[in-house]
Order: sequence, then C-alpha cells, then structure tokens
Amino acid sequence: MEPEPFAGQAPGPGPVVDGRPAVARRRSLRRAPLGFTPLAVVALAFLTLPVIGLVVRAPWREIPHDLVQPGVLTALRLSLVCSVAAVALSCVVGVPLAWVFARVPFPGRTVARAVVTLPMVMPPVVGGVALLLAFGRFGLVGEWLYRWFGITIPFSTTAAILAETFVAMPFLVVTVEAGLRSLGQRYEDAASTLGAGRWTTFRRVTLPLVAPTLGAGAALCWARALGEFGATITFAGDLPGSTQTMPLAVYVALQNDQGAAIALSLVMLAVSLAVLVALRGHWFGGH
Amino acid sequence: MPRSVAVSLQAEIALRLGTLALDAGLAVDDGEVVCLLGPNGAGKTTLLRALAGLSRIDRGRVMLDGEVLDDPGAGRHVPPEHRRIGVMFQEYLLFPHLSALENVAFGLRARGVARHEARRRAAGWLERVGLAGQQGARPRALSGGQAQRVALARALVMEPRLLLLDEPLAALDAGARAALRRDLRRHLSSYDGSCLIVTHDPLEAMTLAERLVVIEDGAVTQTGSPEQVRAHPRSRYVAELVGLNLFRGALDGSAVVLPSGERIVTAEHDLAFREVFAVIHPRVVALYRERPEGSPRNVWPGVAEGLEVDGDRVRVQVSGAVPLMAEVTPAAVAALRLDDGGPLWASVKATEVDVYPA
Repeated sequence: MEPEPFAGQAPGPGPVVDGRPAVARRRSLRRAPLGFTPLAVVALAFLTLPVIGLVVRAPWREIPHDLVQPGVLTALRLSLVCSVAAVALSCVVGVPLAWVFARVPFPGRTVARAVVTLPMVMPPVVGGVALLLAFGRFGLVGEWLYRWFGITIPFSTTAAILAETFVAMPFLVVTVEAGLRSLGQRYEDAASTLGAGRWTTFRRVTLPLVAPTLGAGAALCWARALGEFGATITFAGDLPGSTQTMPLAVYVALQNDQGAAIALSLVMLAVSLAVLVALRGHWFGGH
Repeated sequence: MPRSVAVSLQAEIALRLGTLALDAGLAVDDGEVVCLLGPNGAGKTTLLRALAGLSRIDRGRVMLDGEVLDDPGAGRHVPPEHRRIGVMFQEYLLFPHLSALENVAFGLRARGVARHEARRRAAGWLERVGLAGQQGARPRALSGGQAQRVALARALVMEPRLLLLDEPLAALDAGARAALRRDLRRHLSSYDGSCLIVTHDPLEAMTLAERLVVIEDGAVTQTGSPEQVRAHPRSRYVAELVGLNLFRGALDGSAVVLPSGERIVTAEHDLAFREVFAVIHPRVVALYRERPEGSPRNVWPGVAEGLEVDGDRVRVQVSGAVPLMAEVTPAAVAALRLDDGGPLWASVKATEVDVYPA
C-alpha cells in the first residue's frame, strides 16, 4: 500500500469513506495496468448498451396501450401467480433445508449441498428435461402419480410453478444457510437455557434475526423464478393462460407483435432494477 | 432459616472436545456459591455447557435435585429447555432484536406465562438490578455493565434451581468490575438456589465463592474454601495465583526432600505422611549478598532473575537449586543492588515452612 499522507489524521473536509477523507482518496488513485482502462470501458459499454437500447428504442407512447392487451395482461398475471407460488414453496421447504444444512452435521452433507446448488448452474432447459423425466407420465415419480391418481403434471400451471421453483429455490437455500451460519448458534443456546423449545426458539429468536437475509434470499428467488424460460417451456410448455409466463410471451410476441414484447421486457427490467435496489445493502454494503 | 445441607448438583462429567479431555466431578450444595477456577483452556466453559445441557457428555452422570439430567449409559439426556438451570453467558447474548424488558420477559413467555404478567415480573427484576429506566432500550444501546445486569436479571427471573455464570465480570473494564462484583454478591446472597461461577480471575473467586473448585487441564486438582485454597495450594497454578512458593517432596524426618535432592528443613515432627507439599510465603524469604551465618536452617544460593514492583513491595524471582519468589522492600533492592543479577543467598526459617499432605 502506498504511503498515505492523510492516514491517521482526524477526518478533514469532505465525506469520509473507507475511514479516509475524500481528499486522501483522490491522492491515492491507482494507475491501471496498460490497456486496462480501454478494455474496462468496452466491458462497461457492452453491459449497459443493451439496457440503454431497450429503454431508448421502446415505443413509449404505445406502451400503456400495449400493456393492457389481453394476451399481455394474462402473461403478467400468470407470471405473478407462478413466481409468488414458487417463492412460497421455496420458503416452506427451503428454509428448513437451509436450517438443516447450517445446523445439523449429517454424513453426506457436503454432497447434498453440492447437489442442491446444481440447478443454479445447470442449463435451464436441461432442468426442464430432467423435470420431465422425474414428473412426466413416464417419469420416476410421475408414472406412479398417473397410474394411481390419474395426475398429469407436465404442461400445466403446476408444472410452470415447479419449473420455477426448481431453478429458484437453491438461491434461497444458499442465502439463508449462509445467514444462519453467520448468525451462529449462540442466541439459540441462550434461548434454550431460558426454557424455549425448538419451535419457540426458531419463531422468536432465529427467524427475526435471520429475517433480513431471508428477505434477500426471497427477493433473489423471486427474480430468478420470474425470469425462468428454458425449464418452463420444456416442462410446462407454452400454453397462453396456463403456462405462458412473461418470458415465454416475450419470445413468442417478438415474431409478430414487437410492441407487446417490448412492453413485457420493460416490465421485467423494472422488476430487476427494483430487486437490485432492494438488495444493494446486502450485496454491496456487506451486512 | 436453617440452610438445607442437601446436595443440589452432583456431576461426573467426561467428554472430549478438540484437544481437551475433560474428566471432572463436582458437587454443589443447596444454596451454595461455588467458583470453578482455572486457567484458560482448562475446560471450565466446556464443563459449564455440559451442565446446561448444551453439550453431550461421553461418560458420567449429572443429577440436579435428585433428577437425572444426563446419563449416557442409560441413554438419558434432558435438553436445556427442560432443565431448571439458568445461564449467564460470558458475552451476555442478549437478543439484539428485543428490548431489555422483552429480553428479561423472554423465558417467562417461553414457559407460557401471559404477556402482561411476564412483563410485570421482568420490570420488577430490572428495577432490582437498577435498570428501571432502561426497559425499552435495545441491547446495543446498553453499556457493558448494564448489559451484564440485564443478562443476570434474565436468568434470575426464571428462578432456576442452579445458576451458572460464565466469567460474569470478564467483559467489563476495571472500574465497572468492582461495582458489579459487589452487586453480584448482593444478588447471590438473596438468591435461593445453588450457583456455580466459572472464572479465571482469582479475585472474583476469592470474593464471591463459598467454596472453590480448581480445574486444570480437564481435571479437578483441588477443592476447598477460599481460605483453605489460599493457605494450602496443591498445584503450581494455584500457588502462583495466591502468590506462594510451593514445593512437593517426600518427608524425611523434619525435612522435605525435593526431586532435585535439595532439602527444605521444617519445624514439623512425627508427621504420618510421606508425600507432602511445603509452602513458603515470599515475605519470609530473606536475601543476602554473602552466605549468612545464623539460626535459619534453610540457606540456598541463587541468582536474582526478575524484579516486579507490587505497590510498596518488590517481588524478586530467585532461580537456583530451590527456585523461590521473595518479597522485599525497594530499599533492600537498592542496598543489595539486586537488579545486578549477581549471585546471592536466600534463607528461610524452618518455622516458617508450612507442610501438609499431598
């Protein structure tokens, strides 16, 4: 680290960030290795241009009209229903899983954890195929569901929800597990010595303390579920009204009704930005 | 009201945790205050957690008021929430999302007491510990001393049969410590149940305990009242803690023969034991530059290794065949030029050597 002329002094004029006054930070600007600056500009441009393009080229005057088309509204409503259901499902079974991962050192935990994070990196369409082979009419579980109960899951709204849950739940599990680990067992120990049973401890101590992390995990989970395409179209199909969620509707609309496609895209962009803003403290501030 | 002498806690605990092999037994009488004293890493906190039910034990038995809480042999382990044991943790562990009042009321609410009643009792206890005005404060807004008192109130409001305190004063600065030590004495004297205080601070142990249990390296090395332990240490650790010179050897007539072969002459006769401890107070060690001719039977050569000022006395570490700590005046240090590090002689009268069985 270069010698810092202002380090250790009382904060001078200007905002203090990283414990050093702004004056000091300016003095210690590092010089980038040769070629880094232009390359960094290219990367920044590449990542921001598409978003700028979408916003600039969108036919803003027609957007309100395009948004209220029945097809668009249907896709919007369906996406909302499916993604919220996916988050709810993820919370109900994912939080207990995260708790077990964080607190119970069972044999094979490392392997289990690796398997659970697989849907995060697996190509979504592969996820869809896998879901078909598990829950389809000739699938591992689906065969019995059909034979005994006459239930067919693929190409239904249920399938869309399951597809979104499959790709999104790991985000929740991983986030909440990390939160529980960093919280530690200390407060739970204290609660149990005060006479609180396992459920009471979870409800009154663990959950409130891990709530911010749970919120962040749920937001990530929701964003992922909302944007899912590959697994949904493979496992649930593209049926307007029952499985054609917003991403699918955009893809289909791009062929004949660009206005609808762009309108839906803008809606999803707005959601993404909202999630980013909501999670900025979690990702960039560091709890 | 006569104090019952029934034994409240009876514990034999053996467990392994990392590099520590804990194998200790202790008993606490009904209403007694016992201090578990030992160096860091001795197993004190491990023992405390096992008593609270937070850790499993490998072998042994824990009984409180006749109820078996832990018996691995019989497959019995009562979880912490069903033990009538209160714990005050070293880091206090006040729930950060609850106010001081809600913290103290937590245990009562968990046990099913109605909200209004729980808060009333909690408020009463906060007043008893002098924090009536801090009911609504969050733990992060409290000072160390205040947090300690809330943690104590939170444990005591549950009226546990056994109270476990883990280094209750360790996290406080010296100023707060003295005041809170007095407060703690007051609360403990009015508290009905038994109390076990874990500490590495000898002052805490001596002032708060009715009985001491010394634990080193996972085993109990000594138990007794503070006076007994202070007068008759049974390990190097305790001897250093109370500032005494301790030797262990075989009795040969009136002399204690050390493993090195050196002899300490004592004034004892006809003692029935063979293995003994000999204790010499630093105050009675006299230092000379020349070999002294006089009545003391114990005269040893040595070298002054280190000097330590302690108020108006100076402690001199003398190395040699019989290593000793001597306590002399600063004037003596100057007169003998003890900081030179040169050879000197130490002498102790036989009558000043205290001997007791090992």
